[in-house]
Amino acid sequence: MIEEIITSGRMNHEIDPQLHIWGWEIPLYLFLGGLVAGILILSGVFYILGREERYPFTIKILPIVTPLLLSIGLFALFLDLSHKLYFWRLYTIIRWNSPMSWGAWTLMAIFPLSILWSVTWLEDLKPQWFNNYKWLHSSLDLLRKYRQKLAMIMVFFSLILGMYTGILLSAFNARPFWNTAILGPLFLVSGLSGAAALVVLFSKETREKKIFGRIDLLLITIEIFLLIHLFMGFLSGTQVHIEAAKMFLGGPYTTFFWVFIMGFGLVFPGILEFMELRKFKVPTAIPAILVLIGGLLLRIIIVDAGQASRWLY
Amino acid sequence: MLVRQVDGYIKIFMKGNNSLNTKYLNPYVAGMLLGLILLSAFYFTGRGLGASGAMKSVVTSTLNTIAPNHTSNSEYFAKYVADGKNPMNSWLVFEILGVVLGGFLSGAFAGRLKLKVEHHPFITSNKRIALALSGGVLFGFGSQLGRGCTSGSALTGMAVFSLQGFISMIAIFGTAFIFAYFFRKNWIGG
Repeated sequence: MIEEIITSGRMNHEIDPQLHIWGWEIPLYLFLGGLVAGILILSGVFYILGREERYPFTIKILPIVTPLLLSIGLFALFLDLSHKLYFWRLYTIIRWNSPMSWGAWTLMAIFPLSILWSVTWLEDLKPQWFNNYKWLHSSLDLLRKYRQKLAMIMVFFSLILGMYTGILLSAFNARPFWNTAILGPLFLVSGLSGAAALVVLFSKETREKKIFGRIDLLLITIEIFLLIHLFMGFLSGTQVHIEAAKMFLGGPYTTFFWVFIMGFGLVFPGILEFMELRKFKVPTAIPAILVLIGGLLLRIIIVDAGQASRWLY
Repeated sequence: MLVRQVDGYIKIFMKGNNSLNTKYLNPYVAGMLLGLILLSAFYFTGRGLGASGAMKSVVTSTLNTIAPNHTSNSEYFAKYVADGKNPMNSWLVFEILGVVLGGFLSGAFAGRLKLKVEHHPFITSNKRIALALSGGVLFGFGSQLGRGCTSGSALTGMAVFSLQGFISMIAIFGTAFIFAYFFRKNWIGG
């Protein structure tokens, strides 16, 4: 008799029947990454369209926080690593078929871009801070000449960043709930919606608030559409995907998802923003805060549910 | 003619005032609507409405987070957390979340969304808040002693012809009527 020893990931209690790999760090990173992508896209696109005077907060002020948000997100990502001192190995290779490699290199591009983009605006807003640094002043002047091109490159990489936060999960074939192409666009739209909510929340210009409230309403509608299609896609898939969808349609995630994300995070703020559009007096901060919380909860539940979803055999 | 008729119906719906912009619904109409909501709650969920139960869930789960030992030793709280039950997993909690959402939307529709303390000019906001808080605490105790508040015990109870529901209703409103005499100065002055 020949004895064979089979070693499989399914013998690992951390992997089967449920992944226990990702806690709060990854959802936070995905949320902040998506938010940064959203802010930079809005800022870059409206700059390219020449709306500098109309939407000063979106274009000039809001992007200044992106390096900070990105740092917090990356720090969370770093905390999640098991071999923290080897993170640099991601930068020794480019793997076209690995979303993680894509993400690492995109971050390598977007992080300096966000800093450059913010600093040029920071000098416009607070020139006195730069008075003592002549060399910085002259190099920023040079940079300002290429703002249009900088914006284009930045929007390109931001789009990749926003999509990649979803693709990172959807490339994970072993977890049926993540295995859908909708996650990429869903996270991108959700990030844009969060960025628009930040404008509504913090901008001082009434007109800018109003326009971005409308943009947010449009994005919320798209997000609801994508979420419904996510479930329609699962339900018309294999039994594995149907089971994954059932976690949200009667299973353990039902209440949390439909009440707190669909209800409080999308539909309710959507109604409030719609009412505001129809000239009812609604404090704009409330839908904006709900959208932001909803965006974070969406990442948390998708990361969690993905780890719980499994193949049936 | 038709316009006048419609306007007449609207007047019945909207309390007193003759303009369409009145802020509050006629209380009799609102009461009937509440009855219909109770009926539909029975139809859809098989249970009546409640309110204090949601508060009880919040209190129990807060206590269970801070002092789990005390919760499981207390005769009153233990039954809500027995066998690892989550007290927040109660339909009343979600009903009350819905009440908050609906109230907020209704306030927005009527243009009444404003952070303010309503009180008689003779008393201060702080006094009003203190009175409301102490009244709320007493009502909280009372609702637990009486196994339900105005919604869960009186309204739902009466809807199913429970004797206890009628007694609750008489006790709650009768006591309020008597005690109003002593506290009237906070509301009508002089």
